[in-house]
Amino acid sequence: MSLTEAQEVFASVHEDALNDLITAFCTDRPRYLVYGSPSFVPVTTVSATAIPAIPFPGVPGGINWRIVLGIPQIDLFDQDNALPPELSMGPGQFSGQIEVELCIDCRRLQIDPKDPRPFDPRRGHKPSDDRPRDPDRDERDHPLSELTCFKLRVFLLGHLQRVIAMGGEDAVALVVDQVEIVDIEPDGLESFLECLLFMVLQAALAEIRLPLRALRAGAFQLIPVVGPLIEDDQIKMRGNV
Amino acid sequence: MAEITAAIDETGANKLLDTVIALIPPQSASGSDNLGPFLASYSVTASLVNGDVDLIPPDIIRLEELRLNWSLSLSIGIDLSDILPDFCLPQVCVNIPCVGRVCTPRICIDWPTITVPVSFSDFVKADADFRLQTSLVSGNWEARAIIVGVPNLQFGLTTAALLAAIGLALTPILLAIPFIGPFLAIAANTILAAIGIAGLTGLLGPILTPFISGMQIPIYDQPRVFPVLPAQGAVDPQVDILIDAIAASVANSDGEDELVLTADISA
Repeated sequence: MSLTEAQEVFASVHEDALNDLITAFCTDRPRYLVYGSPSFVPVTTVSATAIPAIPFPGVPGGINWRIVLGIPQIDLFDQDNALPPELSMGPGQFSGQIEVELCIDCRRLQIDPKDPRPFDPRRGHKPSDDRPRDPDRDERDHPLSELTCFKLRVFLLGHLQRVIAMGGEDAVALVVDQVEIVDIEPDGLESFLECLLFMVLQAALAEIRLPLRALRAGAFQLIPVVGPLIEDDQIKMRGNV
Repeated sequence: MAEITAAIDETGANKLLDTVIALIPPQSASGSDNLGPFLASYSVTASLVNGDVDLIPPDIIRLEELRLNWSLSLSIGIDLSDILPDFCLPQVCVNIPCVGRVCTPRICIDWPTITVPVSFSDFVKADADFRLQTSLVSGNWEARAIIVGVPNLQFGLTTAALLAAIGLALTPILLAIPFIGPFLAIAANTILAAIGIAGLTGLLGPILTPFISGMQIPIYDQPRVFPVLPAQGAVDPQVDILIDAIAASVANSDGEDELVLTADISA
């Protein structure tokens, strides 16, 4: 078959180039990989995106957390990279591997000795400063504040979706269909983390919108008719001038 | 394997080159040259119209019947003395009673040099082969189709029509010259015969050929630092990639010829 087949124009991008494009996006706009609540990221910058803390009654300011994603490495069908047995890549799909670091600002709370007040979700509770302190106990117990983190390697499967990039350009985005974390016990914890990261990765990767113009390095005009398709380790598009 | 591949078939290439060639601005030239035995000054404007694209592996784009629309303003200087015989009114003497013999002077007509302005528009066609070439110029990757050799212009009926236009422009100028009446037909025929088809092609060929022989068709032109996404506010700067290499070729697969561009990039 010819490259253009029944159409006039063909364009393809190999997975190596796709990973270069994703790396360029993530390097120039690292905030799409780093999300943190106010104690980590007080305000959104080029480097990180501010998100709210998780509100919880009695925790002043809420539970602060941060999630740092590595640059995803994408493998377009045909499969080249090994996957956990739970994941099976089919035609039209991509797989990916991504490092994820989750951190929590683990704080020892100071109990208010006054009469409990009804919970006011608008104000939250405020800690009391006149609580009697026991310095020895403070040292034995959890420190006042401790950054607690762990890293995971996450495997994922997904497909491409045509989207509109900012400015109205035709673009593609990576849609995550399935996430797998290997060997965490109990199973319920693994499922919980997979679900959390499934939602996080869907949202984060959907923001990486790569214009079709960039996927063909600006060569030839192309009004897509067929694709984008994933096959032969490439994203392929066919269309007319 | 190339990281990025873009290909276009002959139908698409025809459309692409229609657009690209239409964007080449009209070219103009002026000067003076011989038109048969006469000297002609000229100014000419020409624009190109795409022909039929034939892609020929490994690196040739053939444009068949590439058309050059041209518009010519000619100013032909003709010294009629070089064409017409000397014409003199002989001396005439008469005897006048009481006055004697009186003679008129011998009067010779000095045929003038005339300037014949002619404006003419037409087109010529040519078949031309272009070879693909890529280069990095001032931070831009370019792929161009550069003409191979000097094409042979197909003048066809153009020259005969131009000769007729010269004849039409010549007649009122000759009619304004005193005493030329008996010589009018001789002058016009002699001038047109002197110019002839050969004279016109001898003038038009060198004037029009450079418009095609220096032709380059831009196929690809993108900055090496290629913008993937524009800046979108203070926290979302522009995203760029580097285009490390570009190659252009004509490839045949399954009997279909395609113009193929490949690119390698890095983050």
